[in-house]
Amino acid sequence: MTRTAQPWRRRHVLAGLAGALSAGFAATSRAAPSGKPVRVGSTLSLTGPLAPTAIIHKISGEIAVEMINKRNGFLGRPVEWLLLDDQSKPEVARSLYEKLITVDKVDLITGPYATAPILAAMGVAQRYQKFYVQNSMGIPKHLTYEMAFPATPFGSEPDKTFPKVLLDAMASTATPPKSIAILTSKFPSAQFMALGTREVAKERGLNVALYLEYEFGTRDFGAMAARVKDANADFLWVGSLGLDSNLLLEALKKLDYAPKRHFHLYPAPGPLALSPDGDLALSSTFLEPAPPFLDRPDVPELAKEYKERATKANVPYTELDAQGAGMYSQWQILEQAVNGAKSLDDKAIAQWLKKNGATTIYGKLRFDGPFNHGDPAQLVKQVQNKKWVVVWPTAFAPPGVKLIAP
Amino acid sequence: MTAHRAISGAGIGLAVCLLALLPLAGLPAFYDSFLYIVFYWISLATSWAILSGFGGYFSFGHAAFFGAGMYTTATLSVKFGVPFLVTLPAAAAVAASLAVGVGAIVFRLKRLRGELFALLTLAVSFILATIILNTPIDGGAGILTSSVPLPHIMPSPSQTIYLLGMLMCVGTLALAYIVAHSRLGLGLYAIHDDEDVAEVKGVPTFRYKLAAFAISAAIAGAVGGVHATYVGFLTVSETFGITVPLYVVLMSVLGGARHWLGPAVGAALIAASLYTFTSGDQAMIGRGLVALVLIVAILILPDGIVPSFLRWRARWTAQRATAPLPPVEAPQPAATPSGGDRPANAQDSGIDRPVALAIRDARKSFGGLQALRGVTLDIHEGEILGLVGPNGSGKTTLINVITGHFPLSSGEIRLGGAPIQALPAHEIARRGVARTYQIPRPFMHLSVLDNVAMAAAFGSADHGRAASIEEARRWLDFTGLRAKESALPAELNLHERKFLELARALSAEPQLLLLDEVLSGLNPTEIDHAIALIRQIRDRGTTIVFVEHLMRAVVELSDRIAVLNEGTLFALGEPGSVMRDPRVVSVYLGKAHAA
Repeated sequence: MTRTAQPWRRRHVLAGLAGALSAGFAATSRAAPSGKPVRVGSTLSLTGPLAPTAIIHKISGEIAVEMINKRNGFLGRPVEWLLLDDQSKPEVARSLYEKLITVDKVDLITGPYATAPILAAMGVAQRYQKFYVQNSMGIPKHLTYEMAFPATPFGSEPDKTFPKVLLDAMASTATPPKSIAILTSKFPSAQFMALGTREVAKERGLNVALYLEYEFGTRDFGAMAARVKDANADFLWVGSLGLDSNLLLEALKKLDYAPKRHFHLYPAPGPLALSPDGDLALSSTFLEPAPPFLDRPDVPELAKEYKERATKANVPYTELDAQGAGMYSQWQILEQAVNGAKSLDDKAIAQWLKKNGATTIYGKLRFDGPFNHGDPAQLVKQVQNKKWVVVWPTAFAPPGVKLIAP
Repeated sequence: MTAHRAISGAGIGLAVCLLALLPLAGLPAFYDSFLYIVFYWISLATSWAILSGFGGYFSFGHAAFFGAGMYTTATLSVKFGVPFLVTLPAAAAVAASLAVGVGAIVFRLKRLRGELFALLTLAVSFILATIILNTPIDGGAGILTSSVPLPHIMPSPSQTIYLLGMLMCVGTLALAYIVAHSRLGLGLYAIHDDEDVAEVKGVPTFRYKLAAFAISAAIAGAVGGVHATYVGFLTVSETFGITVPLYVVLMSVLGGARHWLGPAVGAALIAASLYTFTSGDQAMIGRGLVALVLIVAILILPDGIVPSFLRWRARWTAQRATAPLPPVEAPQPAATPSGGDRPANAQDSGIDRPVALAIRDARKSFGGLQALRGVTLDIHEGEILGLVGPNGSGKTTLINVITGHFPLSSGEIRLGGAPIQALPAHEIARRGVARTYQIPRPFMHLSVLDNVAMAAAFGSADHGRAASIEEARRWLDFTGLRAKESALPAELNLHERKFLELARALSAEPQLLLLDEVLSGLNPTEIDHAIALIRQIRDRGTTIVFVEHLMRAVVELSDRIAVLNEGTLFALGEPGSVMRDPRVVSVYLGKAHAA
């Protein structure tokens, strides 16, 4: 049942050796965590339809725990991650969080992956007044619990802030789009962003030539592709999940239509980047394993380690992306909040975090805004030479990389 | 027996009370949650089985009714501020109304049985999901229900949800038990095995299916209402996904869908298995292992755990019996006044008695084929009318239109002076018409006793459950099948199955008995036995129409013979004269035989 991050045990040995040998082992320069482990419980959808994404979180979380234990653990104690499988079922997630809290009696909890399990678990956290940090909730307004915190900097109104970032990027090109076609899955977080984009586009004076919603799980995009072609907007915005984008682009290709510029909200990153139809596709991100992010602490090690483990686990896309980065950020927040508060008391941790914020691989995060959200930091990335690169804001683009707008 | 029942009832009541108070025992709250999930699945699986397990109408659309309940509660409580408990009956009512609406259409269409019904219910689920997704009910954004205030029935919200789930579960099981042991249940079991025969035996199939569908959906709706607050956030894709229909089918099949307790056992095992391998390191292997165990269990116990256990227990009990049961001889029918000869005169044959069944210009077409071309015939009270004719002459069709199995194309049929041609088959059965089938069509999953008892329950006498069992045993004694009352029809030989048909028809206490080639396939001794039985039946005052190819029996038994040829009444009269009629000999028997 218990999944213990193993390295801390090795660290005892290494610590002893380090004392006897020299100070050349930089990694052992700090005291190794010792004592009774701090147990942190959470669930991920390791089986069921959400499993392909949850494995990314698992890999990243394991790396995070190992790195925390390489440092000083929590309050000098090693961290043990008790990870359970919620089977992609919100009701199972809810009951497993109750198990973690009332049976396993973990010291702390962190959130699962995906909106429904996150909200199901949040209710449990609220009942037991547990500090609750999660990283993949795309609709901040639903995080109504005062001790629920985001690990990914969506900002409190990403439906308003990110469309502005994206349309700023478009406006910066030589030929800014005058019309936009919006096509979105009726998945809550995608639809939420699509509605916001429509409003911002209207405010910016863009002609919304098409607004179309399709059901989650749609596989036949033929009819929708025809509507997109008819609209022939300057900019196609797709509130896609997973392989929706690939399927839509293939359907458009069959109609001999290539969208001029196209954005995809939550695509499967690998398949879209590698598809011939995905060239110059745009998407959102918070971090990519490239400069300038590689200058941030932990990012190079995380990116390297993640790639190795993802390859070993046969994850289709082995580069560190927003999912993996979010999970790492979640653990960093927990580490800083616990050690900062010098306590495992949930309220103390929450208060400390709200007051001090945290510095993660996403940079400095604040939690003093609505729904405990701080500033948004959503970026625009683009497929160039079959790789995702950040293109906007330009300050986050690797040297020599620019937004390409045909 | 009454004391035993009282003790059992008190025990169950005590167990329910203890279960209700379990959250106050100081166990970790996880167990409230875990047990709620078990109760939730038991309720859903059992509700599914009331229509699909008992009645055999396999539904893949249970998510539609469950989802209708979830969204009713979510909408009423979140958007309109209706108190949570008030939303639960509304959730049940909305789901039941949906089921009645769907059932009122699809249950009228014979072609929508079996897999088509399953697909149709799946389509209902998709359609409802589409409507909810594309209207303000959800609109795609989902509904947050975690803030819905729960009543303070128990100290904490999770304990309250536990209690509601438990009450829902106990109520569902009680309802399933009541249905299974009621006329509705007996009718549903018969519908499951052979709906057409059930209707002809007096089961109001349409009404029963509709009732089962409504009960099943209402429970699912109410369960959905409670679950809406448990999950905290509703989305269309998760609510109307394949999880609920898939799990309820799997649970019911594992436990035994035809038994009231079967789905509960299957649900408890599978729900518990969800929590068996939850560790992050074992997740994949654990799920695979659970799936493997389920596959093996279903392969080994295709009828489900509960029915298999009950059969095993029955065999074990039988083996422990100290002395074997004495062989039971078929009772020899008493000598009849007419002995082995046909009636000597018209007075004996009863043709001067009032007309029991009057058929006027009965016509029946199947597309271009005219099976009956205007048959007019009177059948008198207490007579045995032999109905003969070559294959395809319309004999069985005539029986089918009399019993209401087929509607008449035109013409009139009167039973005791009242027209019956427009009545549904079950109503005709209730008015005292019973039949046997040329190829026996027993209800294959009902015991011999239940086969006969159900006919007694739904026949003209309107017996209650206990009285129908008593009545069934009487007719099993009469036909010599009492020793096999616990057997399934598959364990009977042809002779016994024919007699089961007879017992089933007789237990309905018919005024008019239609015997369709009841002697075919029997050996001479069995035929003699059957002829004696038929005489005895007539002696009890029952009017008999006797379709038979075996001329010896026809001549021996019949007061009159009607000959059908190409859908018309070709000859009618006293057996001797009809059989000597050269036209009958030519058309039916053939010239060589006549010579």
